Amino acid sequence: MQNVAFKLDNVSVCFRRNAVLLRSLKQGLSQMVHRRAEEEFRALSNISLEIRDGEHVGLIGRNGAGKSTLLRVLTRVIEPQTGSVYTNGFKHVVPLLELGIGFHPDLSGRENCFLAGHLMGYSRSEIEQKIPDIIRFSELGDFFDQAVKTYSSGMYARLAFALATDVMPEVLLVDEVFGVGDEFFIRKCVVRMQRLMSAGTTTVLVSHNIDFLVRQCTRLIWLDDGKLVMDGEPHDVALEYRQQNGKAA
Amino acid sequence: MNALALQFAWMYALSQLKLKYRYTFLGVFWNLIEPALFLAVLSIVFSIINKMDIADYAVFLFAALVPWRYFEKVVNACMESIVGGDWLLKKLPVSPFSLPVSRWMQATIEFSFSLAVVFAFYALFKPTWTSHLLVLPFAILAWSVASLGAGLIAAVLFTFFRDVKPLVQLVLMLLFFSSPILFRPDIFAEHTLQATLLQWHPLTYFAALFQKPIYFSAWPSLTDWCITTAIGVGAVAGGYVLVQSTKKHFYFYL
Repeated sequence: MQNVAFKLDNVSVCFRRNAVLLRSLKQGLSQMVHRRAEEEFRALSNISLEIRDGEHVGLIGRNGAGKSTLLRVLTRVIEPQTGSVYTNGFKHVVPLLELGIGFHPDLSGRENCFLAGHLMGYSRSEIEQKIPDIIRFSELGDFFDQAVKTYSSGMYARLAFALATDVMPEVLLVDEVFGVGDEFFIRKCVVRMQRLMSAGTTTVLVSHNIDFLVRQCTRLIWLDDGKLVMDGEPHDVALEYRQQNGKAA
Repeated sequence: MNALALQFAWMYALSQLKLKYRYTFLGVFWNLIEPALFLAVLSIVFSIINKMDIADYAVFLFAALVPWRYFEKVVNACMESIVGGDWLLKKLPVSPFSLPVSRWMQATIEFSFSLAVVFAFYALFKPTWTSHLLVLPFAILAWSVASLGAGLIAAVLFTFFRDVKPLVQLVLMLLFFSSPILFRPDIFAEHTLQATLLQWHPLTYFAALFQKPIYFSAWPSLTDWCITTAIGVGAVAGGYVLVQSTKKHFYFYL
């Protein structure tokens, strides 16, 4: 598995349609007694792919296509029901999912940086050294020591992006981080992303901004209904995706 | 659970403690005042019911009530830890053990403050200090292990069945009121139904680990140690297996 960052083999992920109802003992027992078949929704269906070190992969697809689920499988946040996932355990993998990075709402930006930084494998002193840069990049100022629940969605995303990219990850997984934040901050983010990419960071980006992905990525993967529709050169995949309005033939 | 997750649990426990007392007027001293007030009220009420001298009863009551409240706190805090940790479990790949373990660490730190209350009352009401007290660190360990195990089991149950919380609390209440924490076990004559039931009650042996050295100035028996160790290790092993075997489903229930 030399030079391989991720390898997925026949990976499938299913969600129960009535998972919310089943969260009670009453429903659970009723299900057991009546032996009702569970209605499932396949978020990913038999996905097999390999991402090599230094690749910049963009994931595209309509809403509900399975892009975010695939990113969660790569980060090991979701364990698939079937198939196998290989992730290179020796690499610093930093996921940036749903505009966040695992911040506790009641803790301050600073405290959250230490906690999340620790989970990313960085010591307190390493994070302490990065704090001035994180404050400067996120432009949070005094808000950095306020509870993150008081942040706007843009501030939250700025802090998450600043932390995730300041630690110089070897693998960066980003889910629609440019959805919030003003034009100027997005420009800063793009510059930093380009710097990371040229420095050799393996990146997997989920975005609805196809032009951005075509410009930045070396490979584009198109998903629809949890299935891999096309995997290849960004221009070719984007053209086909647009011609078919995102729906697999 | 690896070293990274354990370190994270410790850091998270400390940050939660800071958060808890950051905006309180009495701060960490509330941990001393709250059990003291609770114990004072219970001593007065139950010394009258049990027709015991209040000073004598207070020492008896404090001995096992403080570790019981610790146990109860750990189970309740751990129960909601995985569901309450969705902000983390849905964003970063972290061992699910780190959340209940963090709550357990937090409760254990607070328990160590509560122990100061026990010894303050002990000094106040019972002037004799015996070498039997040396056994207390091992008694704390036995309670602590059992509470962690029960907490892990409760955390998994609550993740899958959200309506299990009142049931767990009912079981805790039944265990408490049927145990010899509030009353002396020797109030029942030998071979009576109550005495037999107490013999089968797990809290009889856990309570003895504190009551014997503190109140009776005696060593806990070998039976006390064996039963509490077996229950504690069994609970932790059961909790560990339960979390390991179900953790891949957690994401779908958060």
